[in-house]
Amino acid sequence: MHAIQKELLVEASQETAFNVFTGKMGLWWPKTHHIGTSPMVDAIVEPKPDGRWYSTHEDGSEMIIGKVLTWDPYGKLVLAWQVNGQFTYDPALITEVELNFIPESPTTTRIKFEHRDMDKLMGGEKVIEDMERGWWYILNLYKEVTNAT
Amino acid sequence: MPQALKNYEKAFNALGDPTRRAIFEKLEKGPLSVVHIAEGLSVSRPAVSQHLKVLREAKLISMKQEGTRSIYRIEPEGVRAMRDFLDRFWDEALHNFKKLAESAEKQRHR
Repeated sequence: MHAIQKELLVEASQETAFNVFTGKMGLWWPKTHHIGTSPMVDAIVEPKPDGRWYSTHEDGSEMIIGKVLTWDPYGKLVLAWQVNGQFTYDPALITEVELNFIPESPTTTRIKFEHRDMDKLMGGEKVIEDMERGWWYILNLYKEVTNAT
Repeated sequence: MPQALKNYEKAFNALGDPTRRAIFEKLEKGPLSVVHIAEGLSVSRPAVSQHLKVLREAKLISMKQEGTRSIYRIEPEGVRAMRDFLDRFWDEALHNFKKLAESAEKQRHR
């Protein structure tokens, strides 16, 4: 339930798809989205188990996004997304981003994508409790309307 | 209409039904199975299931299988907002990735 799932067909070989995803991340990453204090330049995944996953910035700084959990070219990649709901890196947080590159033909690859454990991103029960007040607001609106009629 | 607003409207509409509001209020006290949700409600079990489906589609509640039972709980709004945000982020990212991989493939065959 707490997962984003996507599936897409890419007109490229399994090897190309894997290499572009992992090796050219800075070219496809929406650069409007990063956690640095200066504009983003590149996104890097170190090509090995436990490799670092980070972004680089114009002022020379690096921001950690997470790490490599499974490095299995060219079929499977699992990354740990460790940026929480407050948009800061949290080494204790692990939400998994899994990609399966399934070859359908020599030049077609099916990508199965999943980003799971979304519920962990908000960091702890207390924060979740605070966030539930948003629903309270809607519900109370209804109560007011119901009571008034 | 921005996605966030559309989702909000969906949630709002889902809570427009008194039975669904009653179910939602029950779940505010804690996670429950269908049997316990249906208890004390004057609607049939299939109707309860239908209401649960609408609440789930509006992402107001979530369901987790625990053994043979389905347990329902309120979806915290923060989790929902974060998921919506990342959902859009990955949509854009994967779209860019697809274009880039396809042009890389073409260059390989040139």
